[in-house]
Amino acid sequence: MYFQKKRCIAMLLAGGQGSRLKVLTQNTAKPAVPFGGKYRIIDFPLSNCVNSGIDTVGILTQYQPLELNEYIGNGQPWGLNKSHCCAQVLPPYERHDKKSGWYKGTANAIYQNIAFIERYDPEYVVVLSGDHIYKMDYAEMVEFHEKNGAACTIAVRDVPLEEASRFGILNTNPDGSIYEFEEKPKEPKSTNASMGIYVFNWQVLREFLIADEEDPKSANDFGKNIIPNLLSAGHKLMAFTFNGYWKDVGTIDSLWEANMELLGKEPAFNIRGEEKSRIFARNNALPSSYIDEDASTVGCFIAEGSEVYGAVRHSIISTGCTIREGALVEDSVVMPGCVIESGAIVRHAILGENSLISRGCVVGGAFAPQDKKKISVTGKDTVMEPNTVLLPGEMM
Amino acid sequence: MNVTGIIFANDGTVSALTEKRTMASMPFGGRYRQVDFALSNLACAGIHRIGIVTRHNYQSLMNHVGSGEEWGLEMEEGGLEYLTPFSSSHTSDYRGKLESLYAAMTFLEYGPQDELVVMIDSAILSNIDLTKVIASHMESGKDITLVTKKGIADGNKQLDLAVKLDQNGNPIDITVDYAASADYEASMDIFVLSKKWLIQQVKEHIAHNLYHMDRDLVLGLWQKGEATLNIYSFDGLAMYNESVEEYFANSLSLTHKEIRADLFGRNHPVYTKVRDRVPTYYGENCKIENCSVADGCMLGGAARNSVLFRQVTIYPGAEVENCVIMNDTVVHEGCQLRNVILDKDVTVRPGTQLIGTPTRPIIIKRGEVV
Repeated sequence: MYFQKKRCIAMLLAGGQGSRLKVLTQNTAKPAVPFGGKYRIIDFPLSNCVNSGIDTVGILTQYQPLELNEYIGNGQPWGLNKSHCCAQVLPPYERHDKKSGWYKGTANAIYQNIAFIERYDPEYVVVLSGDHIYKMDYAEMVEFHEKNGAACTIAVRDVPLEEASRFGILNTNPDGSIYEFEEKPKEPKSTNASMGIYVFNWQVLREFLIADEEDPKSANDFGKNIIPNLLSAGHKLMAFTFNGYWKDVGTIDSLWEANMELLGKEPAFNIRGEEKSRIFARNNALPSSYIDEDASTVGCFIAEGSEVYGAVRHSIISTGCTIREGALVEDSVVMPGCVIESGAIVRHAILGENSLISRGCVVGGAFAPQDKKKISVTGKDTVMEPNTVLLPGEMM
Repeated sequence: MNVTGIIFANDGTVSALTEKRTMASMPFGGRYRQVDFALSNLACAGIHRIGIVTRHNYQSLMNHVGSGEEWGLEMEEGGLEYLTPFSSSHTSDYRGKLESLYAAMTFLEYGPQDELVVMIDSAILSNIDLTKVIASHMESGKDITLVTKKGIADGNKQLDLAVKLDQNGNPIDITVDYAASADYEASMDIFVLSKKWLIQQVKEHIAHNLYHMDRDLVLGLWQKGEATLNIYSFDGLAMYNESVEEYFANSLSLTHKEIRADLFGRNHPVYTKVRDRVPTYYGENCKIENCSVADGCMLGGAARNSVLFRQVTIYPGAEVENCVIMNDTVVHEGCQLRNVILDKDVTVRPGTQLIGTPTRPIIIKRGEVV
């Protein structure tokens, strides 16, 4: 097979469990978690790639890959199913010399797929993670990387000082070059947080991946090993500042918040945006939504294929949901295929895909100021018996 | 059994709405074009070689259907072909279906001859399992299978083709272009025939200057006893969008649950071109009642008993009732619209009042500013 040389390809790390999303990722990999009514988290980095002109994407899967694999399929929704480009799912595999098996860390995952990358003989490899919501033109970052002659460029964003100790912090010189990387520092020296988006010169990365694999003490992780090793070897690393919306949706609270930030007349994250930054998603072939005579729909997103007979306020109703008469949904994220029966009340909740909230159920409640973050969550395919209660902050 | 599908894209017109498009590419139901129903019916029956016969204004159709990827028709063998008109010394524009089939003879003659052909129009919408129609055709051993629908003929509606059946379901009368009475069944313009037989008939008819499918081939041959007719009476929903009035009423009927369930869920999904719009945003003061709403809308005002296509904007203070509003149309503050069909990309300026009647809706043409 003859592969076309590519200037730049992307590797998308989509194998993490996302254990902090609890019941939502019990049987689903985090990148496959639904978001914003008709998307899944992975649609964001994938669409960004396409919108940035990157047409070859390796997707590294490991944890509960069934749904994710099915969702990515042949890459058709993102236009990555053509003869000159691809969205290639790369699961861990067994090798004759036992140098393979489960991905031990982010760097090891790329290491195990050196052969995939080599087929395209790229100058640059963009390494992304599958758990962030944002729109970004990676082409700008690659230009920046090339112009500065760096071995590696890391996207950073300014975070509040009090939050900086939760992130990997990059300390930079006035010219934007990085002199130090600190993982979750107790006393941060700067507020440049790594966004987990890297551009590497492939030849340099390749060398360091192989060396890292030889080191038995290494955690085989980009943040912990590869970046510090590049720095101590004297390579030029640059920080690329990104000012747009970016959200790590790794926790229940942040996932709920990010969904809510889509709402409003001037939303924090305007998902509509321009034509060139459109987010693509696999389509469900469902008809338009239907809003009944007695329904009330205020300050919310309602996706195609949903039928609303009850009241929806300040919520996200995803594709194919039914909200029956007399039901109330408020400040909640209702994932695809849920049914909320008559008289049920859902407030400050995330309902996993295909949850059935039977008549008379009460899920979550109002927030008192002191317990602001008490989101109630149901896992995928949950069936709540009639007239049962799920307290604020509870999960099932 | 290999089956070839043929869709006729230009059948009839719906006044200003089809000025710049085919019947097949008429938008319907918020996110569809009429051809989606015919294409999905064929594709979901496993028919993967489909020709679309077009006459004029077919740009929007080709733009919508493309390579047929959404229907799984993007294939190396078979797949989708556009049978566009071409003139030679003795052909010009088609006068009837038989002439267009004659012009598409290369497409018809391709492949083994022991195949079947399913012909379907785009103005009558249904969600029909064509495998059953094909099975009925094979079992009957007749020359032509025609799909019909009871309850459409009423003595007023002009029908292309209607049949009266005896107790055993055999035709005892056939009418063409006639307002047949209620004891007739209306043709749904879906035919199943053997390819070999069809090719032979098309050639013979053209040779004798006969070009009308319903009048010459079906009625003519049946009257002469030269063709046998099998009737498949469809028990599901069939929407005849053959006039503005019908199109308007059928569009608004999508607010009925049973109608939606039948048209979109009877046998298979209805596929369409994906547009990747965001979910619709319902504003803080909007009042949406009994509406069918596609993705990508921004709704700030009030809408009742209406069908809103993708990316429609209704500003706060605007009121819309019994309207069909197509893609990307914007209705500004203080507008009052009742019984209006707004084509794509229309702008309704602040404070505009447009009031039609259910049988004579006002039609605003594509791209107009009113």
